[in-house]
Parts: sequence; structure tokens; C-alpha cells
Amino acid sequence: MSAERQLQRRAWLQQTGCGFGALAATALSQSSLLPASRAYAGKPELNLSSGLHHPAKAKRVIFLFMQGGVSQVDSFDHKPLLQERDGQAFEFNDARQLAKTGKATTQRIMKSPWKFQPYGQSEKWVSELFPESARNADEMTFLHGMHTEGVAHGPATLFLHCGATNSVRPSMGSWLLYGLGPENQNLPGFISIAPSVGNGGPRNYGNAFLPAQFQGTRIGGADSDILQIKNLLPRKDISELDRGQQLQLLSDLNAQQIQRREYKPNEFDAVVESYELAWRMQSVAPPILDTSDESTETLELYGINDPKTRAYGQRCLLARRLCEAGVRFIQVNYGDNSANPAWDQHSNLPKHADHALAVDRPIAGLLADLKRRGLLEDTIVWWGGEFGRTPYAQDNGTGRDHNPGGFTVWLAGGGFKSGSSHGATDEFGFQAIQGKVHMHDLHATILHQLGIDHKRLVFNHAGRDFRLTDVHGRVVQEILA
Amino acid sequence: MLHVQRTVWTTCLSITIFVAPLSAQDSSEQERAKLDFFESKIRPALIEHCQECHALDSEQAGGLLLDSQAGWQKGGDQGPAIVPGKSSESLLLKAISYSNPKLQMPPDGKLPAGVIENFRQWIDSGAIDPRTTEHDSSKTKSQGLTVDQAQSHWSYRPVQSSLLINVAGSNEHKSSSSSAWIDAQINAKLSESEIEPATRAAPEVLIRRLYLDLTGLPPTVSQLKEWTEGFDATRYTQLVDHLLASPHFGEAYARRWMDVIRYGDSVTLRGFVLPQSWRYRDYLINAYNEDRSFQQMICEQIAGDLMTADDPDARSQQLIATTFLTLGNTNLEKQDKEQLDMDYLDEQLDVIGAAFLGQTLGCARCHDHKFDPIPTRDYYALAGILKSSTGLKHSNVSEWIEKPLPLDPVAQTKFGELESQHTKIAADVKELKKKLDSLAKANPRFIKTDELPGVVVDSAQATLVGKWVESTHVGNIVGESYIHDDNSEKGVKSATFEPQNLPPGEYEVLLAYQASENRATNVVVQVFSADGEKEVTVNERQQAPELNLWRSLGRYRFEDKGQRFVLISNANTDGHVILDAVLFLPVSQMKDGSLSAALQVSKSGSGSGTDAEKQKATLKTLEKEAAELQKQLDERPKYMTVVENSPPKDLAIHIRGDVHTLGEVVPRGFLAAVSMSSKTRADAKPTTESPSPTRKELAEWISANENPLTARVYANRVWSWLMGRGIVATPNNFGITGSAPTHPELLDNLATRLIQSNWSTKVLVREIVLSQAYQRRCVAPGSVASDVDPENLLYWRGHTRRMSVEALRDSMLLVSGELDYSRGGSLIQPGTKADYNYTHRTTRRSIYHPVFRNSLPELFDEFDFADSSVSIEARSRSTVSQQGLSLMQEPWVIARARQASLKYSSTFKSQSVDEGLTELYLACFSREPSNEELKVCRSFLGLDSSPNEASDEKTSSGENKRASSANPKTNPTDEKTVIDPMRLELLIQSLFASIDFRFLE
Repeated sequence: MSAERQLQRRAWLQQTGCGFGALAATALSQSSLLPASRAYAGKPELNLSSGLHHPAKAKRVIFLFMQGGVSQVDSFDHKPLLQERDGQAFEFNDARQLAKTGKATTQRIMKSPWKFQPYGQSEKWVSELFPESARNADEMTFLHGMHTEGVAHGPATLFLHCGATNSVRPSMGSWLLYGLGPENQNLPGFISIAPSVGNGGPRNYGNAFLPAQFQGTRIGGADSDILQIKNLLPRKDISELDRGQQLQLLSDLNAQQIQRREYKPNEFDAVVESYELAWRMQSVAPPILDTSDESTETLELYGINDPKTRAYGQRCLLARRLCEAGVRFIQVNYGDNSANPAWDQHSNLPKHADHALAVDRPIAGLLADLKRRGLLEDTIVWWGGEFGRTPYAQDNGTGRDHNPGGFTVWLAGGGFKSGSSHGATDEFGFQAIQGKVHMHDLHATILHQLGIDHKRLVFNHAGRDFRLTDVHGRVVQEILA
Repeated sequence: MLHVQRTVWTTCLSITIFVAPLSAQDSSEQERAKLDFFESKIRPALIEHCQECHALDSEQAGGLLLDSQAGWQKGGDQGPAIVPGKSSESLLLKAISYSNPKLQMPPDGKLPAGVIENFRQWIDSGAIDPRTTEHDSSKTKSQGLTVDQAQSHWSYRPVQSSLLINVAGSNEHKSSSSSAWIDAQINAKLSESEIEPATRAAPEVLIRRLYLDLTGLPPTVSQLKEWTEGFDATRYTQLVDHLLASPHFGEAYARRWMDVIRYGDSVTLRGFVLPQSWRYRDYLINAYNEDRSFQQMICEQIAGDLMTADDPDARSQQLIATTFLTLGNTNLEKQDKEQLDMDYLDEQLDVIGAAFLGQTLGCARCHDHKFDPIPTRDYYALAGILKSSTGLKHSNVSEWIEKPLPLDPVAQTKFGELESQHTKIAADVKELKKKLDSLAKANPRFIKTDELPGVVVDSAQATLVGKWVESTHVGNIVGESYIHDDNSEKGVKSATFEPQNLPPGEYEVLLAYQASENRATNVVVQVFSADGEKEVTVNERQQAPELNLWRSLGRYRFEDKGQRFVLISNANTDGHVILDAVLFLPVSQMKDGSLSAALQVSKSGSGSGTDAEKQKATLKTLEKEAAELQKQLDERPKYMTVVENSPPKDLAIHIRGDVHTLGEVVPRGFLAAVSMSSKTRADAKPTTESPSPTRKELAEWISANENPLTARVYANRVWSWLMGRGIVATPNNFGITGSAPTHPELLDNLATRLIQSNWSTKVLVREIVLSQAYQRRCVAPGSVASDVDPENLLYWRGHTRRMSVEALRDSMLLVSGELDYSRGGSLIQPGTKADYNYTHRTTRRSIYHPVFRNSLPELFDEFDFADSSVSIEARSRSTVSQQGLSLMQEPWVIARARQASLKYSSTFKSQSVDEGLTELYLACFSREPSNEELKVCRSFLGLDSSPNEASDEKTSSGENKRASSANPKTNPTDEKTVIDPMRLELLIQSLFASIDFRFLE
């Protein structure tokens, strides 16, 4: 590369780097640096300790996605009245019926088949579905007044991830990466582990109209135990030497071709760098994804030695490793590829126990591991599904239907009031009535802890500014430590 | 907390100002008490609970201000918030008392009962409010252009053309100077700015540029050689005409338009495959190839179904074109169907606005457009036009609509005959069944579950809630008994039939019951499958259609881990609910498509004697015939469309876009800002000014020559497809927030030229590519240009084109010799119901691969394929490491390189290494390699020409290279050179990954 070109490139990097590492900046698309984004162009020098808009309490997020909708009244939202009124009929504004007919319907209360008991100094009542997680109750902040949009899985799942049920919008991880940039330039900044293909599939970790470098990277899939990034592992049919020589050849060819051209746009440099970055990712990422160097004690902690908890344990362990390596947003999915995923117990509610068993110990292990490594302080752990379930039996059967009107999520780490509960559902655990937190509010609050003002994280597209929270969202100050 | 303190302080200040005069006016005890009440109870409550969102300095949610009396008097989107003296009529009280699930304030939880009571009291006693803040008009949200001001924005003004008629006269457009008018305007701007334009690009560069721009494929080596010879202006024009006539032109331009209209072959949610989309894609390819007037294409796409045509082919084309309206990535399982209908319509309006008019109509769905002269009422005026047709059939998971295509008379007769045969046989079948059934009735018996095909869940295995009565009283019975609800405790009992093991696949689900007079007529049966939750209502007083025992609940897909059960409740039933069994019958086991044949339990036989056996055999034959006929009938081609479902009706404004909060009804109509009264020509009259226009009239209005937006928008698009950037850099947005045209006169001339040529895409493309501006070299900016126009906004040089992912893939297939040029038709593998994890297995051109929104073909995700869910005006140009990984690691790419190496190994056998490499360079880059390039390639192949040259190289891994696994076999000029096939493969893959393969000059 000639000195002149070196200079030109450096100038370009300075002009566009916006405080990112130089390497990441070269991997940015040119188009993203052009006027498409006002926020982007006007973005101040990014100093992470002071946050994008205000000082940050956390640097990254681990989202434990319980796909299908966990029943709040069988897990973390204890409602003794269900036991008392089991089998009795009451009028409810059933969300599905309400959407269809606009009318309330009579429904039969169904008690929880599981016992509750208090845990920790906060004496949090948790059901026997989550004994291991519950031991960390003093680390958790419970939001019992959650409500969201979408009665069916597809819309609600998209809403959870992208803040919209129908339109194509960027996923929360993409927004976050767009706002903060990656911590580690040799790794993708937004990773979804074992996502399902259904209910929005790739759109749940898609960048939509944000520039491509903010898209989520998938590791593995819902129905697979193999946790790998597509095309990452070096091909096996040629030697390392051949691979190195091929990259050198490509680099020589590119240099000659750029040399030949009369006009040499900066994106040629970005292309050249993208191969080098890919090459570096191929050496940096595989050791992070390879958990074989973990101790027996750690494997035990995550339940990886037990076939019942192995799958989710592996994913949680990987999440911790990615978290250590500086990935901004890591989603750890528990679901499957069916249209009615995992936790979706319309019939046979006792199946909840299988799912709880599969995730409980891995989650507890993750929290313990993050804590002892000092990562929990600046990492937000977010547990929850796309909605909750009804306290009554669906059509008098043996399961519970979807319930977007009231459910529970919990948060840990990241500067929230630990060992506390905020908000409440009604006496049956059906509708959020107090301390209501809409999904938009939860998004706004999580962004807030990361130093981002959700109202100022905007991107101009199709003639107007878009936000993750649309025109809504309120930071839930009450839960901030 | 600082923020809250400041708010309080500001409010206190206003008290000192306004309380004094009021108390001077009226000093009666009562009024003073009311005022005190306001100050002590209401004002603090408003500040604490409401004004965070409903104050002048807040977001002013819902347009409502509660920080002054005037604020609530005027009210928000839904009108005044308070009716003094009447709390029951006051919206504010409705909202805070949470009585309406759609309007609950504050959003984070109901206020304490005492506070609500205070508000009630305050309103009922007259809502005394001393806060008379004068609203500073500068603080209220900025308003954009009004309809009256529309003409002040360039795009709403009529097209002004300086184009001379004699250009239009040269309609044969064989003269190469027909583009002079383009260059005149481009060059005028350049000389104004004193920029010297770049010269004409080299022949091989122009040939490659034209091939890729006009057909999406690079030239083959022989095409390149054919055209390079004596490549002058005449030959250039000949090449342009040759390529415009190529069938690949339509493929390239259809794909560009498909970006704009969000083409897809599936929907994201549940991955449903849209089996008829491809017909629309083929319609576009044909239309572009035959250069159909784009004006006509607009009409056909928006309202082809409402047009007429004489011959069935033309009629089919019109019908298929309207598939355009149905291609949105719709959320079919949205439960609020009213909202879903509106979402569907909004999506159509978004695409129509962006694609044809360059307008961001969606912005006006919830409020008047903030910038452009599009009030919300215009939005609902347009929405009203579209509302009379729907593309959805509603059920739990709504369905799209397919209809049979018209046929030529021969086919029509054929299908007519099939139809009548089918009807006749069906009648015979019915008759026979009846006979058999009465025979069977005379012989009641128990059917063992293991004798039945498929997976049976007997009543004994069902999960029961409430008290069900077991019985064997009547009819044929599956298993040992059936159950009924004793016609009691309605709404308390349910039964869930859930199979233990059900292999994934498609099933016919059947319910067994024994009909009689005391049964319920309205048993709601819910089937939970991969397709969602479907309700079927069963009348148990009617005999079950199959063998008097089975009633089909429909066909469903079941997945491995998904829900698969049938839930029956006795809620609201009007008689005995009787349940015997549920059968999941694999569709694959119904070989001849006959249900009753599959259900016949042959071993023990339900009839008696040979007569019954004979009749059963006949029945089986007949049913087989009927199924065969049905299969043939199913082959009748269908298309996806909308249907007129209701008489056209004016729509009410949906306040804040909410279907349940309606405002004023607005008459159907078009955009008020687009006035076509000032006619520029008399020949094409603007469309009807009928008071309530139809969709057809909407199409005519959009495509009218006088519509100032449409021709400009399309001309600009075509320009941007060829010149790298539009004259308006935002082709989907010609509004205030869009870019201003760099060459407004040229844009108007292009629009005029489009109209003059009867909206011919080919004429426009031809004249653009014949211009000098198109043919320039890609050069580095000189000193003037780099100062004045570094971004090439004035088109003083050629632009660096990035290969689309389709061109990238097609080029690799072309080089490897695998490209299958066949055209048209569906490539969706038969039987594909959902697009998840679909494998694309063909070497056809990329445009023919189904655009599966959950499973795009290889490389599409990484290389900036257009998002198929929204209108895309220009592909993004991203450079990310994932692209590097793909080109070096993706098995699809490796396979192409391997295939190419096989193809070229013979070239290398018969020719010298340098000749072989030259062939490769010509195939990949349409140019010959330099000596330096040959040297690098030879070196990689382990065939250094001389040790001296090799040691000259100063690459960092120079030593490694020498030590490479392929050793020099012989001299490069020696014809018997042996090339290591793996080295050749890696070399070709590197060529695929290199800059010249991915970027055009």
C-alpha cells in the first residue's frame, strides 16, 4: 500500500471512526456512513464509562428467552387465591376472546399444581418449578406488572424483540450495537444462541433498516446441540498452510486490482480489511466457543453433566464466555422450532415442569458464575417470555392460554434494585394493575442502564426517525438502584 | 430528581401570577373552597400522575395537554377531556377509572380510589381550574406543508419539459444521438462548475458494464471477443439494442422492480409458502421483455382484476399482476382481525405510496404528515378505496386468497368435463355409502383401535375435566365405549385428545361420535397444530358423514415438538356432547385420497354377506376415481389475489391509527396535494373526478400522465438503476424530507420522455445508456472535481458498481459452466408447506429461486439482498466480515470454484498456463491479466517462470509460497503443464472473492 493510500485511509478512519476501534470502523459499510443516519453522523465521541447519553450502569445484556410464555402464577407470581377458588367460574377479559369479540367470557380458575415457598432475605415466594433460580432471589428484581402486545406467539415474539408486532423493525440487540458499538472488534457484538426458526425467526435478531454490521449473529439453532457460527470454522479439506497462502493470494490480487483502477473508493479498503477481520475472527472466536477448557466444577455448576440440563447449560456457559469476551447483547434461547414453542402449555400444564427442570439449574449456574467473576455488576441478566399465561384453564381444559395483559419478568445485575419486586397483577394474577410496565418501558429501562436515552436512539428511515420504543416507553425509575 | 423539582417550581410561579386576579373577581366562600380543592387535591395529582406526558414541555401524548384549562377544554385526539359538571361524560374520568380496556390512564397503574374520587368531585362541581397558561405557538409541534402550500414543493408541481418534440419523433430510436438532450443538461452543469468530465471508458469495460446493467450477467468470453472487435459508437449502439432484446433484460429489470414492491414467496410467521407468487414474478419478466407500457403495468398491478381483456391470456396477465397487492409479509395470526385488516391495507398503501408516488404515506396513518402535505384525512380517503377489497379470509390464522385462472376454450372444456364427471361420481359415492351405512347400522359393533389406520386417541385415553359419563348405548363404537357430558354443568367439562406419539407430517383429523336427536348442535372443537389453533363447530345431531361415525375436522400439519391435540369443551352447548375418539390419519396413508376407504376396517367387515363386500369394492373404485379427478382438477392454475368483499364505503379516520377509536368519516378520494387541474397536454385527460372513486380509478389517477409524481418517480428509478444514484437520491421519497433533485430539468425531461414513449422502459434505458454520461470512465477526481463534487453528484465520472448478490451468484455459475438459463416457472419443491430450513437446489438464475423470507438462498443474507418485507429503493452497500467468511468458507462458493477448476483444467491441459490464466481472467473480469497478475497466479500454482522473478517478490509470505505444497512442474510456456486441481480451485475461489469480481468499473 502506498504512503498516499495509507494516509487516505487513515483520514477516512478518523473521519468515520466515531470512537470505534479502527478495525470495526473499516468493517462498517460505506452507506451507513453517508447521510442515511442522522444519529450516526452526529454521534459524539463514544466514551463508554460515561455512556452514550448519560453514565451507564451496565455494558451488556444477557437475555434468557423463555419462548412460548411461562405461566407467572406457576412460577414467580404467587396467588394463593387460585388454590381457594380452584374450579370456580368468573368473568375474565380473555385477551383472545376480547380481540375476537370485544367481550368478557366466563372462565374456570385453575390452581397451580406447584407449591410455593419464600426464598432469601427478601422472602420472595417462588414455586417449586424454580428452586435453583430462586436461591438467587436476593439478586433479582421482579417485574410483576408486565404487559405487552400480541395475543399470538408471532406478533408477541416480534414485539418483545423489535418493539412492533407487524412492521419490520430492528431487533433490540441491533439498536444496542448501533448505539454503543462492539466491545470486542474481533467478535460479533450481538449474538443469538440457538434461536428458533419460527415466530419471526431471523427477524427477531435482524437489523431491518439499520446498517448490516448491526445484525445479530446466530450461533446454532433451537433444534441443535451444535453451537457454532456459520462458516466460522476453517475448512478442513485444505491445510492451514494452503489457507494462509490462499489469503495471501487474495490479498495480492486485491492489491493489484486496486492498483490498476483509476478510481479507488474507500470501500475497497473495507473489503480488504473484511477478509482480514474474518481471518482474525476465525482464530479468535473458535476458542471462545469451545468450552472444553472449563473445569468439572463449572460444568457441574451449569448442569452440563446431566442430560436433562445439558443443552441449556451449554448455552448459558457459552453466554458467560461471550460476555467475558465483550459481546454486547447475548440472547440465550429456550424454545424450539414449532409454531407453539416450548412453554406453550395450552393443554397439560404439568409439562411446565420439564421445561423448568431444563433451564433452572443452568440459569442459577450462570448467575453464580457471573457473580464470582465480577461480571454481574455490569451485565444485565433479563429472564422472561413473550407473554404470560392465564390463571384460568383454557376452555376448561388442562392448560393455560396466552396472556399479554399481565406477567412477570426478572432482571439481575446491571444496577437494578436487587431482592425487590415491582408492580402487581390482580388477585388472580391475570391483569397487571399496579406498577405496570409495558414491554416498551422495559426496553427503555434496559437501554437507560446502558447509558442510552431511548428517545434519542433514533435512525432515519423512509422519511422519518425510528426508535426501538416507537413513540412510547418510560424508564421505570422505581427499580433502579 | 432534579427534573421534578424544576417542574414544581415552574408551576408555583404560575400560581402567583394567576391566582390573585381570579380571587379578586369572585370572593364567595364557595368558589374559594372549590379553588382550594383544586390547589390541594387536583393540581398536585395532575403534576404527579399526568403532566409527565400531558404538558406543553412533554411529549404531549395523544395531543392532550393537562397543564392548563385550555388544554383539557380543547382536549386531545379524542376531543375535550372534561365536561365540567358531568364526570360521567368526561373522558378523563373514564380513563382514570380504567373502565375501558382501550383507554386506561395513567398507563403504569390505576390511581388510588381516593384520588379518582377527588377528580370526580372536582369535575362534578364545575372543574374550576385557574391555570390559564398562554400557549406559546412556537412551542407547539412544528407543522409541515399544508395542502394549500403543496405547490411550493417541487415534486407536486406539474412536470415542465424543455424537451423538443423532434426527439419524440425519432420513435424508431435508431439514431445514436437520441441521448444528446441528456448530455446537454449534464454537461451544462459540469461546465458551470468548471469540471472536466472523464472520457469514455475502455471497450471491454463498457461491454461488461452494459451486459451486467442490462441483463444482470457478465459477458461470456466469446461474447466479449465478438463485441470487442472494432468497438465504435455504432457497435456500441448495436450491442445496446442486442441486449435490450435479450430475454435476460426482463429478468434483470423484473428483479429491480421486485425490490421496490417487497416480493416474497412465503410469509415470515409460520413460514407459510405462497405457492402462486412466482406467477407475478414471471408476469414482470414478460412485461419487461415485451416492453409493456409502465402506465399499463401500474394499472394492472393495482387494479388488473377490475380491468377487462378479450383473450384469456391477456386476462390472466391482468389478474396475476394484481398479486402485487397481496405480497406483504402479513401477520396472519394477529387475533384482532379488524386491526389485521387495517394493517394489511396500511401495508398496501405504504408500498403503493413508495413505489409509484414516492410518498411516505404511512406517516399520515396516525396523524397529519409532519412534513409533507398529506393530512390524515387523505390517508383514510385512500384507505377507503382499498377497503372494499380484501386479500384475507379470516380464521384463527387467516388465509390468503387463491382463485383459478381463466383458461382457453379447450382447457375450459376439459376442466368443465372433469368437473361434471366428478360431480356425478361424488353423487354415486354418496348413494353407495348410504346403502352401506344402513347395512352397518344394522350390525352395531366395536371397532378395535389397533384396526384403525393412523393414530387413534380413544375417549378412554382423553384427559377429562369435570364429570363425563361412559356409555355403549348406540351405534358403532371405537374402543370399548364413548363418553358424554350428560347435558349438564355446561362450561365446566372438557376433554383433551392428545396423541402420545405422532410422527411429524400432514394429517386428516377426524372426530368419532354417535349422532342422535338429543345431541348438541354446536360443539366447538379446537384443533391445535403447527398451523395454529383452529375452531370447528360440530353438529352432533347430524349423522357423521363417514361411515356414520367419523367427521373430518380438516387437514393439519403437526411438528415434532409443537402442540398437537384436540380440545373439546361443553361450554354453551345446547344438548348432549358425545365423544368417542379422535383419529389422526396421515394424508400419506390416504393413497387414493379417499377417506371412507381408509377408514373401512376390512378385517371384520361392517356389512354382511357378499353383497356388502361387492358394494364396498365398488365404492372403493368410485372413490379412487373421484380422488383422481380431484387431483386433475387441482392442477388447474391458480393465482393469488384480492376479492371485492363489500360495497365500497367511506372510512372513518382512525385516531392515532387505532381501529377501535374512530373519528370523522372521510369521503374516498386521492391526495389533495396532487392537483392535476393545470393540464400540460390535452391528449390524456386526468382521470375521473367521481365523488367516490374505485380502485380502478385510483390506478388511473396514479398512472395519469398529468400526475406530477408518478412519471418522475419511475424515470428517476430507471436512472438510478443505471447511474448508481437517482437524480433524486431518495427514489421512494419525493417529499420534503427526501433529497432535492440534482438536475431538476433533466428529471422533468426524463419523465416527459417516458410519457412520450408511452411509458416505455426500454426507450428510457436505451437513451440513458447511449449518453456520454453513462459511458464515462471511473477515474480519480482531479483537483477541481475533488473540491467541487467529490461525490460525483454531477456525473462527471462513471460510478463503481457493486455486484448484486444475484449477479455475484449467477457470475460464479457462469464461470463454472453450471448456469442453467431456463426461464420461468416455480422452483418450489413440491410439497413444501413451510419455508424453514429450505434447501435451494438449482443452478438456475438467482431471480428464479423462491424468495423464502425465512430461508434465503446462499449468500443472500450476507450480500445485501433487499429486505423482502418492505419497499427497498436501493440496496445497501455493506462490507462486513461475514462476507469475507462466506466467500472463503461457504460450501456453495467452494463447490462453484471446484466445478470451475474442473472445467478449466482441460483449458490448462491444452494451452499454456498464461493462456489458461488469461481465459480465466476474461471469464471472471472481462479483461486480460497484467504480467504482474500472471506472475502472482503462476506463483500460487507453483509454476514460477524463473527463480529470479520469484525472489523479486516482496510479499510477506513469499517464503511460504516457495514452500507451497504445489511444486513447480515445468515452464509456463510448456504445453504439458500439470496443474494441481486443488491449487487451481483455490485460485479461482480467490478470483471470485477479489475486488474486480465484486465491483464493476
